[in-house]
Amino acid sequence: MNVTAKVVSFTQDLRERNVKVMLMAMIIAVATVATINAFADHLQRTLMTSANAFLAADRQLNSRTNAPIPEAWYAEAEKRGLKVGRMVEFGTMVSNESQFQLVAVKAVDNAYPLRGEIEWQADLDSTRQIGSKGPGPGEVWLNPRLMRLLNLRPGDALEVGSTSLEVTGVIMREPDGGFRLSNLAPRVMMHVDDVAATEVIQPGSRVRHRGLFAGDEATLHDFEIWLEPQLADNYRWVDVRQGETLGESLDKAEGFLLLGGSLAVLLAVVAIAVASRQYALSQRDRVALLKTMGLTGSRIRRLYLSRLIWWGAIATLLGLMLAIPAAWFLASMTARLMEQPLHFEVDFWQLWPAVLTALVALFAFAYPPIDRLRNTPAMRVFRSLPTNNKAALFKDLLLASVVIFALLWIYVSDIVLVMALLGAVMALVISLAIAGGGLIWGLRRLPAGKGSWRLAVIALYLHRNATLSQMSVFAMTIMLAATLVLVRSSLLADWQAQLPEDAPNHFLLNIAPESVDQVEAFFTDNELNRSPLYPIIRGRLTEINGQPAEEVALNKDDDELRRELNLTISDSYPEDNQIVDGQWFATGDTSGLSIEQSLAESLGVKIGDELGFTVGAEKVTAAITSIRSVQWDSMRPNFFIIFPPNGAIDGLPSTSLTSFYLAEQDKTLLNDFVRQFPTISVLEIDHIIERIQQIIRQVTQAVEAILVMILLAAIAVMVAVVSATMSERQREGALLRTLGSQQRLLVRATIIEFALIGFLAGILGVLTAEIAVWALQYRMFEGEFHWHWPVVISLPFASACILALLGRWQLTPVLTVSPMLLLRKLE
Amino acid sequence: MSTDRQRNPLNDFMIKVENLSHSVDLGTDKLSILQQVNLDIRKGESAAIVGRSGSGKTTLLGLLAGLDIPSSGTVSMNGHLISALSEDERASLRSQRVGFVFQSFQLLPALTAIENVMLPIELAGLSDAKSKAEALLQRVGLGDRMQHTPRQLSGGEQQRVAIARAFAVEPQVLFADEPTGNLDTRTGEAITELLMTLNREQGTTLVMVTHDQQLAERCQRHFVIEAGVLHEKTDNTTEVLSA
Repeated sequence: MNVTAKVVSFTQDLRERNVKVMLMAMIIAVATVATINAFADHLQRTLMTSANAFLAADRQLNSRTNAPIPEAWYAEAEKRGLKVGRMVEFGTMVSNESQFQLVAVKAVDNAYPLRGEIEWQADLDSTRQIGSKGPGPGEVWLNPRLMRLLNLRPGDALEVGSTSLEVTGVIMREPDGGFRLSNLAPRVMMHVDDVAATEVIQPGSRVRHRGLFAGDEATLHDFEIWLEPQLADNYRWVDVRQGETLGESLDKAEGFLLLGGSLAVLLAVVAIAVASRQYALSQRDRVALLKTMGLTGSRIRRLYLSRLIWWGAIATLLGLMLAIPAAWFLASMTARLMEQPLHFEVDFWQLWPAVLTALVALFAFAYPPIDRLRNTPAMRVFRSLPTNNKAALFKDLLLASVVIFALLWIYVSDIVLVMALLGAVMALVISLAIAGGGLIWGLRRLPAGKGSWRLAVIALYLHRNATLSQMSVFAMTIMLAATLVLVRSSLLADWQAQLPEDAPNHFLLNIAPESVDQVEAFFTDNELNRSPLYPIIRGRLTEINGQPAEEVALNKDDDELRRELNLTISDSYPEDNQIVDGQWFATGDTSGLSIEQSLAESLGVKIGDELGFTVGAEKVTAAITSIRSVQWDSMRPNFFIIFPPNGAIDGLPSTSLTSFYLAEQDKTLLNDFVRQFPTISVLEIDHIIERIQQIIRQVTQAVEAILVMILLAAIAVMVAVVSATMSERQREGALLRTLGSQQRLLVRATIIEFALIGFLAGILGVLTAEIAVWALQYRMFEGEFHWHWPVVISLPFASACILALLGRWQLTPVLTVSPMLLLRKLE
Repeated sequence: MSTDRQRNPLNDFMIKVENLSHSVDLGTDKLSILQQVNLDIRKGESAAIVGRSGSGKTTLLGLLAGLDIPSSGTVSMNGHLISALSEDERASLRSQRVGFVFQSFQLLPALTAIENVMLPIELAGLSDAKSKAEALLQRVGLGDRMQHTPRQLSGGEQQRVAIARAFAVEPQVLFADEPTGNLDTRTGEAITELLMTLNREQGTTLVMVTHDQQLAERCQRHFVIEAGVLHEKTDNTTEVLSA
């Protein structure tokens, strides 16, 4: 038997409370990171898959001119095992008997849609069907408004250019419907093979070809790499993130999850650092003794390092073993919530951040104090010596900060997020230094009071170093947990508030001035609410600073240069927009215009540049006075260009736009509306809103689940810290009992002491959390900051209660065991 | 030159201290603990250092054993100038030649009695750890308690295990810090007897710190330390050993 190995052996370690705490912390760390990773990965995949339906594919290749997509590209994609689909979009006139109508045609092949489904009906009054195919050759599907406008029934013929197609269905919803206010013409869907026969597409006509691609991510990625060098400027490779509406939502979702993940990491390493330090402290006597027996520093290092590696391996394994069922559980909950079948798979390579966390936790946080054990003076066998660890502690802190920074960087790759969190930690350290000094000063001067209060205050002062370090850890824990609670409650709420259940989900466009009153009456009769009317003036952007726009624009192929834009007039600032440059119109301003940021960037224009528009026969010019960022996922009426009242476009012929909410069960009202106002376009965006709300619900659920785990980790940190001082407190308690203190007094004093620590840590934690939230909200999620008073006020009390309970719990052995036994045990 | 002296085979001193002073840094101030101590202890001798609490006797013991190095002056052990050795070199020296007995026994609670005794034998890289440890535990009268952990032993029994452990590597010199300090009189006497007997049998040099006069008088040499200054007590006189 090797006795030396048994001195610091794994089974031996497991009997040490500090090792148990450290192992638990490490398991929690690995499990939390791995769970978040596995679950976030799963969520990403399901979110992406469901969001990809908005492209009707995983990727789209869009031609920005009327050049078709080369067949060789499709062939290459098919060779690589990707599914492909061809789609052509163009505008044309269709007719039935003597009635003509301008329509937006979408010609699709048999593969369409590669992702998502088409909702259609055999007739206007039939039930809705969900299909995975569009119309076949020779067939055409129309939107309900067009059916009525042209007075068509299934089986009738529709003239499209030079050919005639049979109406076989009513298209209710296409997966890639998009949200474009410029799509004013009603939809016609036909088969791509019939396009040539229509003879509609002539040189110079405005046609858009879209290639659809679907397959696994790796193949798509490889194909993109192959394709990229061949793509001329007029082709655009699009994934769902580049879609205006869902892209932003998905980015936000990812931001929330990563935030949760990084907070978990921070909490975990705090727990590990605390436990490791306590373990090292408890080992000093043993090391001193071994040194008297002649053990050298390097052998001591080897002895402990081998243990550490054991712990790391076991904690990582156990953590991963816990994480997989946990992630599966979360995934199945989400699946149930979303009423979707569960496809859960774990890609073990995705779990490397958890393994990295274990390694970092081990070597950057657990190892330094343990490594310093070899410097324990052998003289310690005679008496405990004060050790001056300030320099070492500073080194540890520096290393910890650098490592945390690197780790967060790896996880989040978002400098703003990392800086916000680290900034908050720094703010916490500074406020702790100030508050700590103040506390010591205050405790010394506090009128001691009586009984339990006196005992509590004396204990706080006597253990001021422990008090301060406990307070720091608690405050840090509370800060991290509170940040997530606040971010979750405030950012998610803000996001949800943007899209409440009754958010406008239908738009009405092309309301002629003379129809406004009748539309108003329709709304009143049917008890519907609508948003204000926005005047819409259709105009083309033709000049920049007096030069032809198509020649001087930075991106000469911008679609917005090729079509008419919706210009509007408004004096009130759109609430979800943000001015990024210049000034919004002052009251009474009649000159200038406000332009959307991405359009300004694409055109290469700045404040003061003059834009010229052609509206009908008129030409108007105005200088840019402000540039706005627009939140396209807000689903509110948003405009590229806004003029002030009485400005350049005032008095030009206009129509109006409005939006309203219509519940699913009231959708039949639309039929009445369309019949009554055949010239007004109805844009249904309820399915987009529904999908975004679904994403919000999914993310909310995920963040909540992560929150539960983080709160568990936070409680583990607190237990670790409280139990770190357990033996000393038990000894004191036993002594006080031996000296005749009453149990009640002891209990009260401990409860008061911990409640005070908890209360102060709660105040510091919640205030610094607000700083972090402010930074995150301001910078990352573009929300507005406001104080979270209920949390700010209640959290210090909650943390006081939790710590008082923990304090009471650790006192239990002191109260139940005879002081004699306890003192002997603690010898 | 000093190397020649420390390796001198004619040198029959086990411990030789010259002009040793020791102080600790208290930030701005220095607290002087030992002043100009000179001391020779021959091989096989037993020496007691007596003094009040805080007189510096334990610090001196630590310095003699090479657990720390003095602020100034030299300490030699069996001809090796230990005050000039690195910590690891001193550790190696200790593993071969030095045994300790402590006031608070310092047994590892997780190890059984026999394992505690085996530990220094293994650390020194010697063979037959188990049989040696068994023999020693038999010798200190704990043949039937070998598998007990320290918690299952009384104070006197724990100190017997500690003594067995101290003699396990057949040390040339044994340092004892208040070996009976935590024991009642009768147990203390029994422990003293055991320590002295083993010391005699193994021809070990014994350096003991105590404030127990009776125990001190059983040693061949008897030193008194007062406020950091060492004197040797001979019959009725006290020789000042600190200059």
